[in-house]
Amino acid sequence: MESRVKAIIARVLNVDPAQITDELSSGDIPEWDSVGNLAIISTIEQELDLEFPLEDLFDLTSVRSLVDEVNKLTND
Amino acid sequence: MINAPHSRVLCDMIKHAVDTPDKVALVEGTECVTYSQLLARIQAAAIYLQSLGLHAGDHILLAAQKELEFVYLYFAAHSIGVVNVVVDEASPRDRLDYIASVVHPVVTFGNNLVVDGYRSVSFSDIVLNGNGCELLRTTDMQPTDVADVMFTTGTTGAPKGVCLSHANIAGSASNTNGFIGTCADDVEALALPLSHSFGLGRLRCVLTAGATLVLVGNFANLKSFFAVMETEGVTGFGMVPAVWQYIKRLSGKRIAKFANQLRYIEIGSAAMPIEDKQLLMELFPTTRLCMHYGLTEASRAMFTEFHTDAGVLNSIGRPASSLVQVCVLDEDGTPVDDGVDGEICVRGNMVCRSYFLPQDNVGAFHGGDWFRTGDWGHRASNGLFYLTGRKKELINVGGEKVSPSAIEDALLTLDCIADCACVAVPDPRGVLGEVPKAYLVKSGESAPDFAEIKARLTCLLPPHEIPVLWEWTDSIPRTASGKIQRLKLKS
Repeated sequence: MESRVKAIIARVLNVDPAQITDELSSGDIPEWDSVGNLAIISTIEQELDLEFPLEDLFDLTSVRSLVDEVNKLTND
Repeated sequence: MINAPHSRVLCDMIKHAVDTPDKVALVEGTECVTYSQLLARIQAAAIYLQSLGLHAGDHILLAAQKELEFVYLYFAAHSIGVVNVVVDEASPRDRLDYIASVVHPVVTFGNNLVVDGYRSVSFSDIVLNGNGCELLRTTDMQPTDVADVMFTTGTTGAPKGVCLSHANIAGSASNTNGFIGTCADDVEALALPLSHSFGLGRLRCVLTAGATLVLVGNFANLKSFFAVMETEGVTGFGMVPAVWQYIKRLSGKRIAKFANQLRYIEIGSAAMPIEDKQLLMELFPTTRLCMHYGLTEASRAMFTEFHTDAGVLNSIGRPASSLVQVCVLDEDGTPVDDGVDGEICVRGNMVCRSYFLPQDNVGAFHGGDWFRTGDWGHRASNGLFYLTGRKKELINVGGEKVSPSAIEDALLTLDCIADCACVAVPDPRGVLGEVPKAYLVKSGESAPDFAEIKARLTCLLPPHEIPVLWEWTDSIPRTASGKIQRLKLKS
């Protein structure tokens, strides 16, 4: 699942997948701006058929947090 | 100390450096710069620019990075009459090439701003120690001299250079501060891009007022933005309506915890739904919620304040100050009566005198100095102005103006498309206000799917210009002269 999430982020932001490290956070690179962040969230929701709880969205600021959240939601 | 009587913005900053030398002017990360340090570094940057052989009237391309070097160079250029052409380093290569080919910059400055054929200097290579040199005095500069050239989206696709004088940018800052009430006690977080009139204007407003500006990357990481609000004691910030959608979506009403410390929020660059204005009023009952109407050519022409104008939230407001006039004219430039729609035209201390290229000035003004906004609307009997439509065909994507013809030109380079047209449609995600929709006519029997067309456009257009909605059609409606009839596609 981790590789799928990272691949989605790289594709949505149109950046080299090597840039998508665990620590990378929204705002760190020009491509990951607010519009890019929304696109990441909606694409993950759509392609992985899940819905991020509203109360969690505020804390989903890094690649790691997105991966962990997806793992949590798909394991529930 | 710098002496710049031609620039009232710089004169105000010099006054703050004298009156409150230890007051913090800028914060970037862990670095704080006081007003006296700021002026010393601007002077050192001016000496540096002169050491590169720059003279009054020369142009430089300056990448709008949220870095202290940008601020030093920007005002240093003003102090010696060098003209700033502020650009977004991430702009498509052909846009930067075009801008350079128009203004012929002597040097380009940025982190990675390299334009073929022009000397480039990286921010990291700039040494601001004065180098033991004195600032060479230049005495013939006037407030009417061009300070900045800002490139905006033209309706035909080619960007237009808006020439803003020192008096224009000072006028805009003074009108804006006068309306909003930004003062020396304020601490503002700047997360807007500096490559746009809105963000760059906030920089000038805050430093003119003698307040403190905290440079923040952008709004993407709201957790970081809220942390800055808390640690720096932020009292004001600017945002576009799309950012408010983003804040709402990702943080719910968390931002209301700052209601007591926020004295003002400036909003602008695109229309905001009335329900969003009402929600802001509910969450920020004592904050001045100021929304401007303006263009790069006439920055902050009008203002409305939501609490004051609670009963007329659909209005775009009133002139920003007594030095700004707004009228509604018909096609011939004749004033129309209150309540009658026409073109909204503006004149005043912040309105540009001209565009950089003579051909862009054709039809830009009525009667010499009434700038034609291209927006349709009327003035009501209460003196407030209301927008009813747009004459110019630009698509406003979350505050970014997009020319439909620029998208169409890119689409027509694809061999599978025989004809096309793009129009503005409401963002189906409800975030960006408007987004582009493309109507396509196939060039053969079979055609690729929209995902493939979209993928092929990614190397031709910046992300916000790529259509969100797509539709095949048999033909594009055109007038007898071949002009696309976009209204027919919208209806």
